[in-house]
Amino acid sequence: MIAELKLLYAKRELLWAMVERELRIRYKNSVLGFFWSLLNPLVTMCVMWVVFKFLLGNATPNYSAYVLSAYIPFMFFNMAVMDSAQSVLAALPVIKKVSFPREILPISTVLANFVHLLLALVVFFVFLLVVWLYTDRENFPFTWTLALLPVLLVLTLMFTMGMSFIVSALNVFYEDVKYVTSVALYLLFFLTPVMYFSENVLHRTRDMGALGEAIYIGYHLNPVAVIATSCKQVLLKPGPVDIGGQQIPASPLPLGLYLWTAAVCVVIFFAGYALFNRMKWRFVERP
Amino acid sequence: MNALELIGLKKSFRLHHSGAASLKTALLWWKRRRVEEREVLRGLSLTVRQGECVALVGRNGAGKSTLLSLISQIYKPTLGEIKIEGRLAPLLELGAGFHPDLSGEENVLFNGMILGLTRKEIRARMADIVAFAELEESIDVPVRTYSSGMLARLGFAVAAHVDADILIIDEVLAVGDFRFEKKCYDYLDRFRAKGGTILFVSHNPEAVMRVADRCVWLKDGRVEMDGPPAEVLARYQAAAPDPEAAP
Repeated sequence: MIAELKLLYAKRELLWAMVERELRIRYKNSVLGFFWSLLNPLVTMCVMWVVFKFLLGNATPNYSAYVLSAYIPFMFFNMAVMDSAQSVLAALPVIKKVSFPREILPISTVLANFVHLLLALVVFFVFLLVVWLYTDRENFPFTWTLALLPVLLVLTLMFTMGMSFIVSALNVFYEDVKYVTSVALYLLFFLTPVMYFSENVLHRTRDMGALGEAIYIGYHLNPVAVIATSCKQVLLKPGPVDIGGQQIPASPLPLGLYLWTAAVCVVIFFAGYALFNRMKWRFVERP
Repeated sequence: MNALELIGLKKSFRLHHSGAASLKTALLWWKRRRVEEREVLRGLSLTVRQGECVALVGRNGAGKSTLLSLISQIYKPTLGEIKIEGRLAPLLELGAGFHPDLSGEENVLFNGMILGLTRKEIRARMADIVAFAELEESIDVPVRTYSSGMLARLGFAVAAHVDADILIIDEVLAVGDFRFEKKCYDYLDRFRAKGGTILFVSHNPEAVMRVADRCVWLKDGRVEMDGPPAEVLARYQAAAPDPEAAP
């Protein structure tokens, strides 16, 4: 793996060019161009406010901001994995004719999506500041936990990259992988505390004894779930959650779950890269 | 000094008779899977000295393209060793990796990077590349509007400016009009005069006679004959019963 990484480092300029190309192509023939990247989170935010605050009357303070803070990273994971599923297969005619490190294909796809994630976060911060300036001068939306954001982003990136390696390599040989992945991602969205909170899970399982605890822990063994909750906690001040009219105070996850998630992210990254490297020479010999 | 040294190269491919790749086929037919190993190269050894221009001839399926792909590091050999001395520019397909929605200039930048140049080096050569391809007027439009001849010219122009020590060419010279073809051959002459090494596949005996100073005849994944182009071509053409299959 060291040799592969060295070669990848030598070709880093090509990698950046690929990321740039990916970003250019995406909006090449559209009028609004790059603004689409910013428009998506803005529109999502408006729809969420209408549905959850206005229609459903959820009384959790700052509800749409909390949803969005997990929705943005979840969409990054979703889009990056789906895009990279096709990345190697689509480039098959090229990799049959030119030699370059094949892992550049999924990596550049993930990084291009990561750029969108960063842009969306900028929009998110601007939104929070505007809300703070014009409505609620009392509560400054950010806390010191924002300093943990880079760590969280790196772990998210590693996990996403690892999954993308696995999905893109397997999809070359079995095109069903792409469809299985899209269904799995759809289900994952509901199994991840994006539209609701980890506190909801805790509240439901708290009075069930050992079984409840097992469900609570089991639910959070999913690294995406912990990442989503961490995003809410890091990007915003943890606040009370409205469950059936009751205000439940914020309750952080056990420390062990954070460590477990960090470990899974790192392991998935290296395991995915190793799998990709094992399979990459057979891409061109695809039946 | 040897530019290329190939020692006992073997390459076999797996042929799957089940056809399309899908999980369903893999699960349903895993017992009845018919996997056939096909040996394309069977222990091929070849040495190309620096400054030589070697032509590869042989019938379809003799392993010519596989050999070039192996040297270009697209496949890994099943067995054997490849030693390369110097910077290699493979020209297996002109403009491989061009993206239809990007402009000619953006594609040149990208293609040059794939071939191993840095962004700075390409920027410095951009004017020369565009002039060589004779595309001054259309370099800023998306390449999907190009004709196939324009694409081939641009592809060759990029490859001609990467400062390679060894060129690997797979039947790509028969592109463009007569004038551009001459330009390509002139370029190859200049490249050789500077001490460059060329290994190319051609089905055109005139091209072989014009450029090559050594000819290698591949048959069934092995070297059948190796020597001066006139002799090898004569024997090869005599051995090919079908005039269609002549070099």
